[in-house]
Amino acid sequence: MTLDQAQIGKTYEVENVDLPQELDIRLEALGMTNGTDLDVMNAKEHGTVIIKLRGSRFALGRGITSHIEVKEVAVHEH
Amino acid sequence: MSIDENSQQTLIDADTGTHHQNLTIAFAGNPNCGKTTLFNGYTGANLKVANWPGVTVEKKEGAMKYHDDTFKLVDLPGTYSLTSYTMEETVTRNYIMSDEVDLIIDIADASSLERNLYLTLQLIELGKPVILALNMMDIVKKRGMEIDIHRLPEMLGIPCIPISARTKEGTKVLMHAAAHHGDNAQKQSPLIHQHTHKFEEEGHHRHHHHQEYVMVYSDEIEDKIDLIIDKMKVLYPNLKNYRWYAIKQLEKDREISAKYPVEMPDVIDRSYEDDIITQKYDFIEEIVEECLVNKATKEAKTDRADRILTNKWLGLPIFLGIMALIFVLTFTVGNWLKGYFEILFEWLQMLISKGLGATGVSQAVTSLISDGIVAGVGGILTFLPNIFILFLALAFLEDSGYMSRVAYVMDGIMGKLGLSGKSFIPMILGFGCTVPAVMASRALATKKDRFRTMLVTPFFSCSAKIPIYVLFAGMFFPKNSALVAFSLYVIGFAIGIFIAWISHILDRDKNDNQLLIELPEYKRPSANTIFIYVWTKIKDYLQRAGTIIFISSIVMWFILNFGPSGYVGSGTAGSFGSIVGQAIVPVFAPIGLGYWQIIVALIAGISAKEVVVSSCAVLFGISSINSAAGMSEMVTALSGIGFGALNAYCLMIFCLLYVPCIASMATIRRESGSTKYTVFVIFFQIAVAYLASFLVFQIGSIL
Repeated sequence: MTLDQAQIGKTYEVENVDLPQELDIRLEALGMTNGTDLDVMNAKEHGTVIIKLRGSRFALGRGITSHIEVKEVAVHEH
Repeated sequence: MSIDENSQQTLIDADTGTHHQNLTIAFAGNPNCGKTTLFNGYTGANLKVANWPGVTVEKKEGAMKYHDDTFKLVDLPGTYSLTSYTMEETVTRNYIMSDEVDLIIDIADASSLERNLYLTLQLIELGKPVILALNMMDIVKKRGMEIDIHRLPEMLGIPCIPISARTKEGTKVLMHAAAHHGDNAQKQSPLIHQHTHKFEEEGHHRHHHHQEYVMVYSDEIEDKIDLIIDKMKVLYPNLKNYRWYAIKQLEKDREISAKYPVEMPDVIDRSYEDDIITQKYDFIEEIVEECLVNKATKEAKTDRADRILTNKWLGLPIFLGIMALIFVLTFTVGNWLKGYFEILFEWLQMLISKGLGATGVSQAVTSLISDGIVAGVGGILTFLPNIFILFLALAFLEDSGYMSRVAYVMDGIMGKLGLSGKSFIPMILGFGCTVPAVMASRALATKKDRFRTMLVTPFFSCSAKIPIYVLFAGMFFPKNSALVAFSLYVIGFAIGIFIAWISHILDRDKNDNQLLIELPEYKRPSANTIFIYVWTKIKDYLQRAGTIIFISSIVMWFILNFGPSGYVGSGTAGSFGSIVGQAIVPVFAPIGLGYWQIIVALIAGISAKEVVVSSCAVLFGISSINSAAGMSEMVTALSGIGFGALNAYCLMIFCLLYVPCIASMATIRRESGSTKYTVFVIFFQIAVAYLASFLVFQIGSIL
């Protein structure tokens, strides 16, 4: 599934990011490398999502979230 | 940037024999890491804001005394990384690499250490002495987190100083470290790594890199780095820090590979940027695992606040409520404070006219000073409380961390207009002043977004238009003046949104919504940051009053008192002003503004919007235009020429929509880099203003 379909309160693991190189690198520099966990804090119907990534929150538009392949992580351990 | 002027100078004082060192310290850090608060804390309001040479990236400089030494502090743009993809990042890294910088202070938000350390690793790789300032330690403690301050410098090889920019805790220690780190910059602290690194286990040969470098990559990459270094040393014998250049070559960095080509297709067979970033984050995970002793036990307050403030249903109404509150405060509390200003101002005015009477200067000079300068400039100063409240509110929005939430909240609506929610931030700033708002559009991802945002931003009514609303709404709609002023904000907003929508419909290749913005931790705004923000704006306003408004008041007085036949006395027929104004009357008659005095004021208002008001004061010879007496005097004067409430509303609409000021147009020219586009914007604004007031006047006349 892609991140734009993610549900609030769940944790997902990044599997693949399919975006133009420049944007891809910008996201990676923010810590969105493959295998990273992200928590979905909030979401709107159009695929705009607030995520928590390595302790920081980001709002991402659908143009980005629909190109991020993720899989749900069962239970988030502390 | 001249090198010898700014480079580190160690002077020996002849009398005392003590050392003086003048360090240049660069402040680097992620956006929202508290860098500005810290910088302001050290330098106070004495900073020089300019652009970096040749590019539209803001550069802030300040100075501070440390014992007998003077430190020059340079605030670099907040960035997450140091690639060559954006102007900010290129400027930042080129400046750090230059000889000018002696030391880097890397400010990290310790409450989100993991992401902040990425920039730290990149800064260390640049090869200059780095000190890590762990900011927001108060928040770290509050959340029950603990950072191992002894282990962290061992792993990073640099001093790590815990501070809180907000409470100023540790900031003295930080500068102490800076002063002394400069002394022994060459010898790095010993690196003690106990890598359980997956790459190292696979290692075949013995590098000594782990004793030398903080960030060591996989053997594959390290081998490539070594090969590139050897080649570069031959090709470019005068560089420093070859390792950094080699890493950039492997990343296929645009700037470096163009500047220092190395033909090594076997070694650089692809871009290793991906691998390099991932391995840096792997190392960061290692650091965090060892140094972050307790993870946050308490749920961050921010998450709780966000559940409401960015809620699907509540987010938008809350935002609209906040904006409405800001405008209500601006016009009610502002008007109340204004009363006290007027008392002070009238007293000053009395002193001046008494003084002038006593000296017995000629009538023309007395008229110039009291009807021209005092009426024009003084009239504008009484609006200061309104402007103050507005900027205070905007400062709160920005410093609390709420502003970036607006990008998320508005993203849906802006998406329908083909813009990302981020475009809305320049628009809100436009309520303060169009100039910084247009500059804020730099942060937008695409050129198209930037141009469309610049087109729309001027319709968001700026603070310089407040005097016009306060005055004309106060004169002609005394009972509903706040409501009338609010209606203008709404109309400006609606027209801006409508134009964005039209341009989206006309746009053929629509792009995807690529909103990407960090939502920082909410925090109590720092009094110092707010003070500096508001003071800069107020100073700007005072400066305009002292320059543009001062000069335009004199010019206005001149063209209204002089004509082809010489001195004709105050603003009557025969003056240059009335001759020019009357010639254009037929053009302005259909929009309810066919009065030569008003036309002259509007033309003068292109220099700055406050000038419309100061010009009216000069035009009608009213000395205290913002007082009750002055207002009624002017209403009488205006009704004498047939100017009523409907005309007043048309005037406000026209002022809301036409060219904001020369400064804003110059900014649009600079930011867009296109004269053609700027000219288009100017004519477009005038056309929209004409059309809107035409409709209001024609429909209003029928009703």
